[in-house]
Formats: sequence, structure tokens, C-alpha cells
Amino acid sequence: MPVHGAMRRRLRDSAAGQAALLLAPAVLIYGGLALYPLVDVIKLSFVKWNGLTAAQPFVGLANYVQIFTADPVFWRALTNTLIWTVLSVIVPPGIGFLLALGLNQSIPGRSLLRAVFYLPVIIAPIAVATIWRWMYDPYFGLFNQVLTALGAGGLIRDWLGDSSIALYSIFIAYVWESAGFSMVLFLAGLQGVPRVLVEAARIDGAGRWSVFRYVVLPALGPSLTIVVVLSLINSFRAFDIVYGMTGGGPAQSTQMLALWAYTQAMQLGDFGPGSAISVILLLTTAAVVIPYVHRVVRRREVAG
Amino acid sequence: MTAIAAPFRPLGSGRTDPLLVILWVALLALALLWIMPFAFIVFTSLKSNATVMGSSAFSPPAHPDLGNYARAWARGHFNTTMFNSAVITLIKVPLGLAISALAAYALANIRFRAARVLFLVFVFGTMIPFQVMLAPLFGVVNALHLINTYAGIILPYLAFGIPYQVFVLHAFFRDLPRELTEAALLDGASHLTVLCRIFLPLSLPVLAALLILDFVATWNEFAMALVILQDNSTWTLPLGLMSFQSQFSSNYGELNAAIVMTVLPATLVYLIFQRYFVSGLTAGAVKE
Repeated sequence: MPVHGAMRRRLRDSAAGQAALLLAPAVLIYGGLALYPLVDVIKLSFVKWNGLTAAQPFVGLANYVQIFTADPVFWRALTNTLIWTVLSVIVPPGIGFLLALGLNQSIPGRSLLRAVFYLPVIIAPIAVATIWRWMYDPYFGLFNQVLTALGAGGLIRDWLGDSSIALYSIFIAYVWESAGFSMVLFLAGLQGVPRVLVEAARIDGAGRWSVFRYVVLPALGPSLTIVVVLSLINSFRAFDIVYGMTGGGPAQSTQMLALWAYTQAMQLGDFGPGSAISVILLLTTAAVVIPYVHRVVRRREVAG
Repeated sequence: MTAIAAPFRPLGSGRTDPLLVILWVALLALALLWIMPFAFIVFTSLKSNATVMGSSAFSPPAHPDLGNYARAWARGHFNTTMFNSAVITLIKVPLGLAISALAAYALANIRFRAARVLFLVFVFGTMIPFQVMLAPLFGVVNALHLINTYAGIILPYLAFGIPYQVFVLHAFFRDLPRELTEAALLDGASHLTVLCRIFLPLSLPVLAALLILDFVATWNEFAMALVILQDNSTWTLPLGLMSFQSQFSSNYGELNAAIVMTVLPATLVYLIFQRYFVSGLTAGAVKE
């Protein structure tokens, strides 16, 4: 029926038109202020620019050569970022996992306990930094007072002023801030463990370990992937907490790549090397993100 | 939250498990440790500087004094920063959710050729670390002549918030029955009408979850604000707190009062809407 066909085509054409209108605001804003800077940073990594002049002379790979060969801070920041990344993929998710297992048991007050462990996640990271800076205060801070009260005065340190431990002092604050995040994702995963299966296993005489190993753990696979990927990406982003606690010091001992990229461009007015560092970080992130996104999208298409 | 029928009894067991009692005690102790920083901050905020230096850090204040709050409010320009944070958050959060809902609907419910690629581009955006490219972000906002303006910070906030919301709403919209749409379209309704009259009312729990999550994220954001809001009359609360810390770091009582005032709004929102919060956070992950 030709009439029917024409009508359908008109409906479809107008549907595509409507789709374009509905998508326009999101595409414009996301494209202009997220994707464009993403491309721009790649361009900036090949030019010399102070952020003010109109001219952006092309300098080839000079910025990359400079950060790799003439910038000792870059290597320090890279090492710190690697240490930070390894620690953040292991420690907060590990604690979050144990908390989730514990808080999934039938114990009184578990909603309240979950709320307590999650609370630091919703505090502004810059406030977390301020809180911990004060707790690490060498004279009146909580840590050194507790150590004195326990008679362990010998352990007293200038937690953020000593370049050999400052990075780890910040990391402790980060654990406090982020363990609840992993916990919530694992708790959501535990909801997917079939109750019937657990009960059946128990009735059949399976011990705690067997139930965990053969029933609970296999169901947590997807959550584990999500937590690891998110922890990895979040660790590349470490900015607020370091900026707020030490600003990268003392003597660059807590410098990180994201912070160093910011410092070079925004404080030293040298956008080229800063952008080169950003590009390196973005490539590293992409190496993690692209396979993951690929998997997520494929799953959703299979599910649909 | 599910009520517990029989405390300390593992699933499928009729007896009380002593190990669970031990676990419970351990978790209680850890929870105490976890909230200790908060107690420490609140205690200090109620003490005079002399008391902070003379008394033990974890003793409650003997003579609670709210004066630190009034002084920190004035010296930290909380009038300005609280107002800026409120304006930016109240505009950004509903606007961002509306824009995301429009886009998610189009991607989930209208068939057109570029839908798949566009969806991929949005999913990719959920993982772009903006902290890594603050300088080019500054460049774009500067080119638009929007440094030190509300629009200059709201636009990038929108841009980096849209992908996650599109991702979560897309999953939700896609699972709504197609018959709903088809019947309404045959009656001559536009897609916008279908979205507003049918989809949004059915999605209230997800929308609430995303709203709460985004409120806290926007309220807390620091790095982008740092590069775009450079004039102190445009500062938000996190920027104000950072500046307070560097100016009055040895005025312990007031500094801690400033911390409490900065984190209190987000904390209250979390405690009131806790349920939505967790579902918003896990929606993206679980619906994978």
C-alpha cells in the first residue's frame, strides 16, 4: 500500500528530526566543553603557548622531549602516580570488599553502619584534605596527640612535612575517603547472589568458605571489574586531595601527573609541556577505558 | 532497607553464630574509628584557640562556643561562597538532568542511523578525566569570555555531567514497554510529549537518585572551579574553604567551623536521601 508507505516514511523523517532536536543541547554542550578540550589538549601538546598570546607556534615533539629529558619533576610525578595507582586499586577496594561482606550478614544496625562508612565519600574532597591536614598537624593534631597518649611518642612525625612519608599520609586520607565507594558497589553486587543458592548450600552442609568460594565469589565477578576500573580511573584523577593537603610538596615529594600538568599550564604559564603530560595521562586512561566501554556496550546490546 | 528477622543467624541456619557476634563488634569498633575525624572536627570547632592548645584533642569542649562559626562565616566570606554555590548548583542540577533526559530518550526510543555511534560517544564521556585537562578547559571558557561567570562554570559542569546521566537514563528508558510509545505516537503525540507525559513520570525514582548524586557532586567540585572562578567574588564553597585554610591555618577553632559549614549541606542531603543516593550510584554499575 503506497499511502501507508508514504505515511510511514513521513513519520520516520519527522522522528529523525525530533531526535536531532532532542539531542541538540546535550551534543552541543558535551561536544563543545568536553570533547573539544580533549582534542585541543592534543594540539596544545605540540605547540608553544603561554595561554594569553594569539600565536601558538608549532614545535613538534619538543614538549614531549622536554618532559622526558629535562624535567626531573615529571619523573617524580610519574613514579608517585604509579605508586598511588597500584595502592588505590588494591587497598580501598580490598577494604570495601571486606566491609561489604561483613555488612551483608545478618547483624543489627547494619544500615547505620553502611551509612557511617559511606559518609566520607560524600564529603567534598577538598574538605577531606582540610580535615586530614588538621588531624596531621604536628603540634595539636589528633594523630600525634593519640600517639603521645598511648606512650608511643617516638612514632611522632611531621606526617605531611616529611618527604619520605607525605605521599602515604595523603593516601591514608584517600582510603578513608574512598573505601565506602567500593563497599557500596560490592554490596550492590552481593544483592545479585541468589539467596536460595546460599541456603541450599548451607543445608547441604557447605561450610563458610565453600559458600563464599563457590556461591558468593562467582556472582561478584562483574562488580569486581567495575570497582577495579573505576578505582583505576579515579586514581589518575587524584587532584583535589593532593592539592589541598600538600600542593605537591614538600620538595615535589607528593607531586602527581594531573597536578603537575595543572601547575605547568595554569601557574607557570607553559601550556605545552602541561598538555603533553595530560596527553600521556589520557592515553593511559584510554587504554583502560576503551576495552571496558566496548564490553559494556556489547552487553547492553546483547541484553536489548 | 530490609529488617533483619533473626540477628546473628546466617542465611539457612537456625542457630546464632558466635562468629557473627565477633564480626559485629569488630565492625562497630571500625565504624567508631571511621567517624572519629568528624567528632574531632566538630569538637575543635566549638573550642577557643587557647583550649585547642591546652586540652586533649579528643575531649569534648567543656564550654561549647558557637562564636567560631559566626567569626568564620564573616572572615571566610561565606555569604558570597554559599550564595554562589547555591546558585550554581540550583541551576546546573535540574538543567543538566533535563538535557540528559532529552538525549537519553532520543537514543533509547527513536530509531535513527547515528544512534549507536552517538551512544558510544556518550558512554566514552563517562570516563573522561577532566582533572587531566584543566588547561584546555580554561582555554575554551576563556575563548567564550566566560571566565569568572556563572555560565562559565555551569557549562563545563553540564558537559561532564551529561554522559553518566544519559548512560543511566538510557538503560532505564530502554526497558520501558515500547507499546506505550507507539500508542501515543499513533494518536499524534510528539516524542517530547511522550517523554514528558509517559516516560518521566515512570522514571521518578531514577531521576531522584541522579538528582541527589549530582547535587552532591556539583556542590563539592573543586578543580574546575579553581581554574575558571579566579575572582573571589565568584568563588564557591570549596574554593572559599581552601583559601580559608591557607590564610587562617593556625586559627584552629574557626578553621574547623569553616569545614563544618562547608560539608554540612551535602551531609544533610545525604542523610535525608540516603536511599536514592545508593541507587543512583549503583544504577550505572548494576544495570550494565
